[in-house]
Amino acid sequence: MAEVVFDRASRIYTPGATPAVDGLSLTVDDGELVVLVGPSGSGKSTALRMLAGLEPIDAGHLRIDGRDVVDVPSKDRDIAMVFQSYALYPSKTVWDNMAFPLKMRGMDKAEQARRVNEAAEILGLTEYLDRKPKALSGGQRQRVAMGRAIVREPQVFLMDEPLSNLDAKMRVQTRAQIAGLQNRLDVTTVYVTHDQVEAMTMGDRVAVLRDGRLQQYATPSELYDHPVNAFVAGFIGSPAMNLLDLGRAGDGVRLGDVDVPLRREVRDSAGDASTVTIGVRPEDLSLSDGDGVKAVVDVVEELGSESYLYAHLADDEATTLVVRGPGRTRVRYGETIAVRVDPEAVHAFDSASGERLAS
Amino acid sequence: MRRAPLLPALVFTIIVTQIPFLLTIFYSLQSWNLVRPGSQQWVWFDNYVSVFQDSQFRGVALNTVIMTLGSVLIAVVLGLVLALLLNRHFVGRGVVRTLLVTPFLITPVAAALLWKTTLLDPTYGLVNFVLSPFGVGEEAWISDFPLASVMVALIWQWTPFMMLLLLAGLQSMPTDQIEAARMDGAGAWAIFRELTLPHLRRFIELGTVLGAIYLVNTFDAVYMITQGGPGTASANLPFYIYQRAFLGFDIGQSAAMGVVVVVMTIIVATFALRLVFRSFGAAEGSH
Ligand SMILES: Nc1ncnc2c1ncn2[C@@H]1O[C@H](COP(=O)(O)OP(=O)(O)O)[C@@H](O)[C@H]1O
Ligand SMILES: [Mg+2]
Repeated sequence: MAEVVFDRASRIYTPGATPAVDGLSLTVDDGELVVLVGPSGSGKSTALRMLAGLEPIDAGHLRIDGRDVVDVPSKDRDIAMVFQSYALYPSKTVWDNMAFPLKMRGMDKAEQARRVNEAAEILGLTEYLDRKPKALSGGQRQRVAMGRAIVREPQVFLMDEPLSNLDAKMRVQTRAQIAGLQNRLDVTTVYVTHDQVEAMTMGDRVAVLRDGRLQQYATPSELYDHPVNAFVAGFIGSPAMNLLDLGRAGDGVRLGDVDVPLRREVRDSAGDASTVTIGVRPEDLSLSDGDGVKAVVDVVEELGSESYLYAHLADDEATTLVVRGPGRTRVRYGETIAVRVDPEAVHAFDSASGERLAS
Repeated sequence: MRRAPLLPALVFTIIVTQIPFLLTIFYSLQSWNLVRPGSQQWVWFDNYVSVFQDSQFRGVALNTVIMTLGSVLIAVVLGLVLALLLNRHFVGRGVVRTLLVTPFLITPVAAALLWKTTLLDPTYGLVNFVLSPFGVGEEAWISDFPLASVMVALIWQWTPFMMLLLLAGLQSMPTDQIEAARMDGAGAWAIFRELTLPHLRRFIELGTVLGAIYLVNTFDAVYMITQGGPGTASANLPFYIYQRAFLGFDIGQSAAMGVVVVVMTIIVATFALRLVFRSFGAAEGSH
């Protein structure tokens, strides 16, 4: 049980280059599951490896349970990690893989056996204990990697994209299992993924990274409802939020041939900028019978319960929109639709900096 | 029919390998000494009987086993140590690696000559020169330790091969396994014993088998350094057969020995290769 604190921690791989992790400050509360999410190359793995002790911390501090661990080697940090590749020991059986950390710590045989058996029970690995990793399926290997982490009963779990080698169905199942297990064991967990759906569904809180910098650290619903900048807005949510650079007109902005009103605070903080970046989620756009922006449908994605219409504005090819429609929609490719914007649901960002206007 | 274009190669291979072997078998069934023209006659298995009764042959066979396995195993151990060193980063690693590989690039005859004259010579040898501060005088390494002297030259030549093979093995080892082990609390020695050695096992097996297949045929080093002497103290089978055939002119006897050696080699090599293919085959499945 422990709290993890990144305190302006940085990692610079090559002197002079931009830091892979740049002044990261983040507090993970005791027992919390925090997800680090961001596009590939945003420094998620590096941040996790810094916490694991596999990368040095070039600047700043890192505390686990109040203890500064910058100079503490991995094995003394009381953490366990699940690697993306699982990093199972190929020459050892499942049992020996899971018992390895205990054996290395000189734990007595009976206690080793008790813990390994218990973990195998929890993870449904009991019948595979004698197998070598190569004789296991992807999902089973993943569970062995989890098992090797939980037998340690560490203060903190680290997981680097543990689901990325599984097929889509397994991924959804395992996602729920991991979240459930984490709840039950109540161990502080830092979880890395590039998949925002995983982040939103698993995280108590989610930290969005970009180019080594923390963009926003908040609960999933807060991220969804109040993204602090256009990057977070576009990254969180699927399909992604529509982000449009629109010219100012009157009390709002002009989208095709309609005006989208902006709230007063937004107008104030936008100042006299000539354009504003508007963010609208597909579900906040609706099809109407008459009024609304005219758009031409390029692609119809029918999901059964709902559909997504990818369209471009009738009078502006370059501006594209994703609109959520009803399931079994009758709209077809090439049709012109009218789209109504819910003004209450509009996010506005500074066109230059991407920062959120007002709050 | 698709394989028809390969036929010439097959015919060629048969001509240069199988026909000489059949001839060897033919000669081995005859008594034929070149020094006594007209002595050629069928004796059937007499030659084989005397091969197995020949205590020199047995001694030489033992020498061959010691020389082959001893050299290969020592070369593997040394190669492993060097590979572990080269697998770390240090300034000048590229140069050191090149220097360490050079013994393997030298013609075996030249290497043997180098060991015989420049290094192991009692009066002028560098080995005695280097060891002189430790009280070693004009030690005649080659006459006192003939078999060991030959083996030293062989080991010197083959260590780089083992080193390269094991270095490739080390570099194919996934780093995340080592990182995982480090987080699991394993120290350097535990990582080596529990992960590196099992991973290297198939490379060690391959190196041992390949090295043994080459070294069992050693001729140049024996010929150059000791001429198999004193007596047959440092002779191995190829050299002994050569002696019997081309110095003793006993074609029948030496052909019989040759056949015995080939049969034994095939048996040993079959088992050894099967072992290697099995462990590589097993490893394939894990990726
Ligand atoms: N060992 C390394 N040496 C140099 N640069 C690295 C190394 N590992 C990662 N980087 C760089 O650091 C940045 C962040 O990488 P990483 O943490 O792996 O990103 P992510 O896990 O978010 O995809 C990338 O630009 C990557 O190229
Ligand atoms: Mg990564």
